[in-house]
Amino acid sequence: MSDVWIYAPAPEQAVIPAQLLAELGYAPRRLEVNGSLRPDGGGSRPPALAFVVASGASAAAACECLVRLREDEALTDLPLVVAVEPEQLESGPELLDAHELIVTPYSAEELRARIARARRQVHGIEDGDVVRIGALVINLATYQVHIGGQPIDFAYMEYELLKFLATHPGRVFSRESLLSRVWGYDYYGGARTVDVHVRRVRAKLGPEHGRITTVRSVGYRFDDD
Amino acid sequence: MTPDHSYVLRTVEERGVRFVRLWFVDVLGLLKSIAIPASELEAALEEGVGLDGSALEGSARLHERDVIAHPDPRTFQVLPWRPGSLVARMFCDVRMPDGSSFAGDSRSALRRVLGQAADLGFTFQVGAEIEFFLFDEPSDGELPRPLDDGAYFDLTPLDAASDFRRRTIEYLEQMGIPVKASHHEVAPSQHEIQLQHTDALSMADAVTTFRLAVKEVAREDGLHATFMPKPLDEHSGSGMHVHLSLFGDRGNAFHAPDGDGPLSELGHAFLAGVLAHAGELTAVTNQWVNSYKRLATGFEAPEQVCWTRHGRSALVRVPSNRPGKEAAARIELRSPDPSCNPYLCFALVLAAGLRGIERGYQLPPEVDDVPPAAATRLPEDLREATDLFDASELARDALGDRLCDWYVRNKRAEWAEYRGKVTEFERHRFLRLL
Repeated sequence: MSDVWIYAPAPEQAVIPAQLLAELGYAPRRLEVNGSLRPDGGGSRPPALAFVVASGASAAAACECLVRLREDEALTDLPLVVAVEPEQLESGPELLDAHELIVTPYSAEELRARIARARRQVHGIEDGDVVRIGALVINLATYQVHIGGQPIDFAYMEYELLKFLATHPGRVFSRESLLSRVWGYDYYGGARTVDVHVRRVRAKLGPEHGRITTVRSVGYRFDDD
Repeated sequence: MTPDHSYVLRTVEERGVRFVRLWFVDVLGLLKSIAIPASELEAALEEGVGLDGSALEGSARLHERDVIAHPDPRTFQVLPWRPGSLVARMFCDVRMPDGSSFAGDSRSALRRVLGQAADLGFTFQVGAEIEFFLFDEPSDGELPRPLDDGAYFDLTPLDAASDFRRRTIEYLEQMGIPVKASHHEVAPSQHEIQLQHTDALSMADAVTTFRLAVKEVAREDGLHATFMPKPLDEHSGSGMHVHLSLFGDRGNAFHAPDGDGPLSELGHAFLAGVLAHAGELTAVTNQWVNSYKRLATGFEAPEQVCWTRHGRSALVRVPSNRPGKEAAARIELRSPDPSCNPYLCFALVLAAGLRGIERGYQLPPEVDDVPPAAATRLPEDLREATDLFDASELARDALGDRLCDWYVRNKRAEWAEYRGKVTEFERHRFLRLL
């Protein structure tokens, strides 16, 4: 189940989006639109989605929140959806910083489609998608990985690391950025953890499927071809 | 439900896993397992599974107590040696019903000491070279027979066991335990497999998994794999050399590109701590009566407390073949054997090293080859080692009084039983003579 962080000016404005998101299978978490971008306690991994509620007098604060989300380096690649009342559509150009915009009132079905569009803009894929790279198939809905039809049994963090790299092919990630984006900010284990997990994933994929390339003194890159 | 829980539940469903084994070890490091059907898994992840905590106290049990085994979802792994009906395993942390950790849980004890290292900004990295023997499964009370006459590094078709090692490595890699190297050892039928370094908790889990995987592969061939430290009088025993380093924010804290010695100041202090407390560690690094037969009979097994870069039988070797490589800076502790409880072993060795750092221990001079007669020696037998452990403030601080007491009770019982046995040695030497 993926987290969604909801930025709302007041608790009651988060109720409906939280219900709809829960219906869609997400784990919603409410944050102050003016406050910290991350939940208390050091925060965890970036969520699957940020959902910003722009309503009434707080529309300006919502616009500012969107700007802060976009400028936060550790949250690049976080899909942003903003919910706006019809009267607030002209609140500011910042609304267009969101990957997708949804006008209230809306249904769970529409929300699902909007989220899918936002996620596709950012990742090129959706949660329910199947990632195919050569003989390697990763089913993001069922967490199953196959090579040439044979299942490969990964431990959870090995899977998460492979998923992250395979859904961002061709890009080089430092060990530190992999730590914060795959393990989360609060994870204590040091950059060594990344090397150890890369080695485990490589061992399971086998040498003939060695798509994870070490980029000397930088980090790792997943090659899609 | 947390993402790692849903990962486990979904995988079990998708892969058709029927049973999940919940693994934990007793104070002696012996693997215990509770199998639960897949239908019970969700409840087990949420609430844990109740068991009798005396199962963790080794063979010297006192009375029952209720404890809860909480499976660690991040250790979920399908077992590769059961291709027909899929079985998976998870390691457990054992806690009291109120959620506090159970004093007899070795895994929690290691986590605690790792937490102390983390407070200082370090993770403890461990690599392991594990030796073991393959025997024909004894029948009719005959002595186990070594399988082959292959020599060191012999990989010709004559080496009956190279296929064995290949299959073992495949299993290990399928379980997320990457292997660095493997070869035939000095003694007949003796093998060594080197595991790539990882954090100490993962390595302790890996050693536990390794011992089972090797035994499973052997069993497929009708053989018996043993991690007994010294199975044959006239041949070398099986050790588990462990390679240790601390990593902090700025990488390997043992690395000193321009330092005076082979390691950084901090590395020297850590090493000094391990050497200063070597006697107290021995009951854990070498926990069985038989462990001391390996230490007593040469074959490069360490007997004296010293360190070296180039010598061969010191307690600690500081590898110096790649001084410029940061990741290679480490110490190699050569006393542990593969039948130890890896959780307690790593916990106590780390605690000794940290104490060296915290109290600024001075490193004694390097010993090049033959240790001087005056060098401190390791305990000669289990009784001496247990006495040192029992009286060790370090062990009690690191592992807790109750765990130490349980451990000591087991070891004293083992010694008492051993002391009362008439050995082959005595019959050979005395039966006719006297």
